[in-house]
Amino acid sequence: MHLSLLGVSHHSAPVDLRERVDFSRRGVPAALAVLADTPGTAEVVVLSTCNRAEIYTMCEDAGRARDGLARFMSEFHNVPEPELAAHLYTMTGAAVTRHLFRVAAGLDSLVVGEPQILGQVKEAYAVASDRGHTGASLNRLFHWAFSVGKRVRAETGLGEGAVSVSYAAIALARKIFGRLDRLRALVVGAGEMAELTATHLRAQDVRHIGVTNRTASRAAALAARVQGIAVPWEAMIDELASTDIVVTATGSASCMVTRAHVAEAMKPRRDRPLFMIDIGVPRDVEPAAGDIEQVFLYNIDDLQAIVRENQARRQAQVDRAELLVEEEVDGFMRWLRSRGSVPTVVALRRRFEEIRQAELARLAPKLASMPPDARARVEEVTRLLVERLLSTPTERLKAAPDEDAAATDADTLSRLFELGLGEDSDDDTPALREARLGSMASPSAARNR
Amino acid sequence: MNAIPLALYFTASGAYAVHFARPGSAWGPTATLTLVAGALAHTFVIGMQTMQVGHIPFVGTTGAISAFVWLLALAYLYTEMTADERSMGIFLVPLMVVLQTIPALGNSVAARPPVLESRWFEIHVFSLLVAYASLALACVVSVTYVLLFKELKAKHPGVFYARLPSLQVLDAMNRRTVGVGWAFLTVGIGVGVIWLAQLQPGAVDPRVQAMSPLDPKIFIVVLCWLVYGFGIFARSRLGWGGRRAAWLSTVGFAILLLNFVPIGYFGTETHNFY
Repeated sequence: MHLSLLGVSHHSAPVDLRERVDFSRRGVPAALAVLADTPGTAEVVVLSTCNRAEIYTMCEDAGRARDGLARFMSEFHNVPEPELAAHLYTMTGAAVTRHLFRVAAGLDSLVVGEPQILGQVKEAYAVASDRGHTGASLNRLFHWAFSVGKRVRAETGLGEGAVSVSYAAIALARKIFGRLDRLRALVVGAGEMAELTATHLRAQDVRHIGVTNRTASRAAALAARVQGIAVPWEAMIDELASTDIVVTATGSASCMVTRAHVAEAMKPRRDRPLFMIDIGVPRDVEPAAGDIEQVFLYNIDDLQAIVRENQARRQAQVDRAELLVEEEVDGFMRWLRSRGSVPTVVALRRRFEEIRQAELARLAPKLASMPPDARARVEEVTRLLVERLLSTPTERLKAAPDEDAAATDADTLSRLFELGLGEDSDDDTPALREARLGSMASPSAARNR
Repeated sequence: MNAIPLALYFTASGAYAVHFARPGSAWGPTATLTLVAGALAHTFVIGMQTMQVGHIPFVGTTGAISAFVWLLALAYLYTEMTADERSMGIFLVPLMVVLQTIPALGNSVAARPPVLESRWFEIHVFSLLVAYASLALACVVSVTYVLLFKELKAKHPGVFYARLPSLQVLDAMNRRTVGVGWAFLTVGIGVGVIWLAQLQPGAVDPRVQAMSPLDPKIFIVVLCWLVYGFGIFARSRLGWGGRRAAWLSTVGFAILLLNFVPIGYFGTETHNFY
């Protein structure tokens, strides 16, 4: 069995193609149902986000699986195969593990270190696993990926610091006020930036959002979209006194809010902070207003400077995160190889046991004349001999450095001892299953080995 | 014996420093556990001393400092656990280390002079020590407030931005700790006045006879009571929250600290009982 991956992401395809292969349009469960019926595919998980559509499988033949998955992708989404082929990427074995771990850690995201992806990977796994499309290998791979995602976030600063202007503004508001759900916000302007910030404020459950604009109808329209209340343009300055967060984003050529306006508004507020986010260019708020006690005024350059610093800090953490991922890939691949060696080990032990039993049976007449404790001794000695003979080969098989070496070892042993592996691939005896379960250690335990 | 809690406080302050430098590492819980161990050892020391002399060892500046550090450790641990906020340990625990050095060096428990054989004495000193501990916390919270405020005003979020809770949370903590501190200060001073009024008419001890509000130790504590009282009044009536309140807390505690070391040992003529 081989790990295999086929996918499309923001690295490989433009947005219009990504939209067309978005699994959420027809539903991931429908795709899983079709994929599970594909011959040679034992386990499958579909990861579908706005930036990627990926299919992870455990399959018998990686090459055949690749062609099959590409054909499936084309037919399921109704996109001609040649058009799709240029944007698809495929991977097998350790590369799949590395890719999934990097995805879960946020290293492969458009915004490096963004936290949502880990939740999306978990969701994708849950959808597949709830429907019985995953088995021991993908279960282990995805749980391992979750722990890698968590570890990278805990041990590096990859997810720290806002990397977009509107998130930076929200993070600053949190640092000033703590909870935002009791605050009143005022959005001045009804353009794209005003709307984006207002949407973020709404997502943070700000208690009240007022929207004001020179054109009252545009204010009313934006207010309706963000569940706010339109405020008449003339009342804007009066409204400042009862507002905690002000977002200004108008196209006005001069400062609409002067230092005097803010000073006046601060009087009844006493020492209650006022956070002013001026994302208008040219600026909407007179810069001197920021000198007033308890007024925190940030313009678009201030916010962009914070974003740039955070991006640089994240970038500095990427190398550490990549090293960590590499370490985890090694751990998982060791586990996978040791699991792959189980059929060989079991067959080898069975072969030796057969030989031992055959020899004991041949000697049965002679053994019958011996006293019972001597017979037990012979039984014990032969058993121990077999154990000792197999101990080193078993360890070496499990610790194969890569998949090719593991396959070569298995082939050689099979040929030398006539194990018959590969001739009867459905040979999944209870002993084999038990042995596989026994080799499923936890990620941390496996790391420590 | 006071050296054991000192050693643990010292270790804890190092752990808090590492935790501050590398948040998210395992040093945070280590720091808290070490501080808990220090506070427990300190409780044991004070308990042993109480059994030794038959009363809580408040007598003398050394005993009072040890008890103050102990209360401060407990108050800080309470705040840390209830607010789930470990970032202030780096500011507070070093203060505990410095103060605890005094009882650790002069490791003796003063016997209680007969004049202090009174329930009033215990209430008086205990209330003031609780007040001092609470006001010390207020001071630390205020310093962190000012540091974070400066970063936010300078539009350059940095070390404190990444580690401290929000300005509003710090301001609320300052308000609460000053409120508790001022209430205990009031009780401590009030009990002192009542007790003195009872003692003075027939007092044999010349110190009790000469005790007046002009004694530096009493003067400082009354001055602090006025400073913090003004802070509470200004917050509720004049809207002096935030940075102004933070400065008042810091200045108030700086004055209060005088009572421990310089004045407690050298300045007071009538208020030293050891």
